[in-house]
Amino acid sequence: MAQASMLTEVVQKFVTATPDIQGAALVTPDGLSLTSVLPGSMDEERTSAMSAAMLSLGERIGQELSRGIVDRIVIEGEKGYSVMVSCGDDAVLLVLAAKEAKQGLLFLEIKRILKDLAPMVS
Amino acid sequence: MPMTREKLGGFISIVCFKGVITGMEEALGERATSIALISAGRTRGKNLVTELGLAGSNPSLEDLASKLDFALGENGTRLCKVDKIEDNGDTIKVYTHETVCSAGEEQGSSRKCTYSMGAVCGAIETIQGKRYRPKHTESVLRGGTHDVFEMSMIG
Repeated sequence: MAQASMLTEVVQKFVTATPDIQGAALVTPDGLSLTSVLPGSMDEERTSAMSAAMLSLGERIGQELSRGIVDRIVIEGEKGYSVMVSCGDDAVLLVLAAKEAKQGLLFLEIKRILKDLAPMVS
Repeated sequence: MPMTREKLGGFISIVCFKGVITGMEEALGERATSIALISAGRTRGKNLVTELGLAGSNPSLEDLASKLDFALGENGTRLCKVDKIEDNGDTIKVYTHETVCSAGEEQGSSRKCTYSMGAVCGAIETIQGKRYRPKHTESVLRGGTHDVFEMSMIG
């Protein structure tokens, strides 16, 4: 696995360079933070555990309700989106985006960063 | 003032505690349950040592094992017995037994400690001011003499 500082650099760049992205966190499948760039009001440990648990729960729903392999979990709130997606077998990526974000672009950007991050966490 | 139980006191049966775990596993799946319980344990361990005034005290590992055993063992909340802690550089190994997670399980069961491991990890993290990734590496249910939690430093 890559150094934490390298992961932080990639995630930081993603958050600052992509319009409407408000934060991101890379966490282990068991819910521990690898790196995060989150708004100050958010608790990193809790956010990490929630993201991993949510993705796992989504995968269980996909399996139990015969929905197949889960691409991503999207929570759409009045203030924006939370997207959770697998980053290979060894990490989960959480992305927070503003309400104004265009979903297609958002998912495309997430796909791009996953390509960068996946080899770094495997 | 918190509600107390005049006749039943502060302890519940292992059977009921295990019922919570298996019920969560049934509804949420093993992994999501494990994440939630480890996280809950970490918070419990953190709060417990903070209440005891041990946060940031950074004692020797021998002293740390004894303090944890006091807080979590026979004279404490009876979550588990903490026997010893070994330092292996970037990792530390915590040797426990009579963990609530393994209690009531058949020999050979694949059950892993979640809440107990999280509590021990959260307590040590708060005492030492470091962060660890815990893993249950040896089990009394699978031929071990102890439930061993191996904790790798992550920052």
